[in-house]
Amino acid sequence: MEPPRSSGVGIDNSGEYSPEIAETLRFEEEIQSLIHPSSFDGSAAPTGGGSFTALLGLPANQAVELLHDSGAREPLASRIRVGEHPVHRPFHLPLDCSSAFPSNATLVDRAARFSVFAAEGSPASSSGRLKAEPQDSDSPPLDPIPTGPAKRKDTGRSKCDVRLSLSFKSQAKVTAKKSKNAEENTDGDKLPYVHVRARRGQATDNHSLAERARREKINARMKLLQELVPGCSKITGTALVLDEIINHVQTLQRQVEFLSMRLAAVNPRIDFSSLDSYLSAECGPVTVRNGPGGVVVDPSLWPTDATAEATRRLLVPQFWHIDLVPPQLQPQQSLTTWERDGAAHSQLLPNPTTSLFLYDPANSGDTNVPHRTAKLKTAEDRALNL
Amino acid sequence: MDTDGKADAGLLERSRRIKTAAELGLARSSRGRHWSRALLLRRRLLISKEETTTTTRAAVEVEKLGVEDEPEEKMLQARVRTLQRLVPGGEEIMEAERLFEETADYIEALQEQVSAMRALACLLHGFQRTRGGS
Repeated sequence: MEPPRSSGVGIDNSGEYSPEIAETLRFEEEIQSLIHPSSFDGSAAPTGGGSFTALLGLPANQAVELLHDSGAREPLASRIRVGEHPVHRPFHLPLDCSSAFPSNATLVDRAARFSVFAAEGSPASSSGRLKAEPQDSDSPPLDPIPTGPAKRKDTGRSKCDVRLSLSFKSQAKVTAKKSKNAEENTDGDKLPYVHVRARRGQATDNHSLAERARREKINARMKLLQELVPGCSKITGTALVLDEIINHVQTLQRQVEFLSMRLAAVNPRIDFSSLDSYLSAECGPVTVRNGPGGVVVDPSLWPTDATAEATRRLLVPQFWHIDLVPPQLQPQQSLTTWERDGAAHSQLLPNPTTSLFLYDPANSGDTNVPHRTAKLKTAEDRALNL
Repeated sequence: MDTDGKADAGLLERSRRIKTAAELGLARSSRGRHWSRALLLRRRLLISKEETTTTTRAAVEVEKLGVEDEPEEKMLQARVRTLQRLVPGGEEIMEAERLFEETADYIEALQEQVSAMRALACLLHGFQRTRGGS
């Protein structure tokens, strides 16, 4: 069954197309007649027609009749495909096109309501939508936009409704991409989904279209990943982008390993008493993750008793193996971790003599311990802007 | 937790423990994600990473990115599978779309973790230098 081409035209100028389009379409018709001689009667159409006619609210035959009346018969995918390519490039159609389309008010009206450009009328909006359309292209999945949105601005309109009709025909998830009006998606499709359309050389049966829809979703995610990975935006081609992403993930994982080794090598000799001075003085490298204020150490958090504690702890032979947990942990959690660590296995460090980072589990100064660990945690929290 | 036996067993061991702790911290900070759950599970059960890669149940199940079975699609498939292996819990993700979501989130979290650890390392090394540490 043939959805009317006027669907794409459903703007105020009731379905006018330029002669070029009409020619193209007639060309398509001829090809179509060659390819599918029998498909012009609505009954022979696949069930995809049903969606469109449901869309129109007209029975298939009547719609077909309308189309036949207009003499503008369109719709099969193969034809569209053939016709699409030439339409792509060279035409800069004005928005008001000569009518090769049904002037049936009802048809046009319904098409207007359901079409991509319904209620839009303005080239800006349609071109805006058209700019989005190139993203649907799945031949170069990542490259679609640069193909001249300006050029598509006009050609795309005719292309759009061509595709629109095409997708109607095949009962895909046909919804106008970013259709602003509330055209609830024609098939009752829940997602305001991508305007799926056939490209050259691709089938238009439901399965393929669904797959293509899915593929476009995937491409959207891929774009997101591209932005995330530095230097990936320039790369075109899914495989290369994936390579880049994999490389990046591996790099990050290796960095984590390397940093953990580096942190392990750090001898945990931290002088709490001078921690605040250090942090305030040399907080250059630490400001990586910090807020605008850099490292903020509140000296009030380091009252004199901390110094006293540090001193006292010096005398205690137990040492606390720092479990350098990244500061994402909640204070409570890390507190537990550290306490447990200290309690379970406080070991002598290689050079235990003057380690200033001490923890004495035996000294069941419970108040002190949480206090201390809290202080340590707080310092690091602040250092790392937690 | 898995902090048992934090023996002073040399740099490698310590670094491994640190990395474990880092991963756990990372996972806990991004609770809602599949990869974070997978990380936690992995650590908790002390499953080695290599084990998950050998499961065949899902490794091949990533849906095809494309319709055609061109060689490029096969290459894409291979890459997607590699990505699956990289991202924790990736083998269980069936759809490429979901996989990419998880990957994006995982990359973000990894970057944050790297910067945090770097900052921490700088801080502590700075301490060492300041204190004239060993």
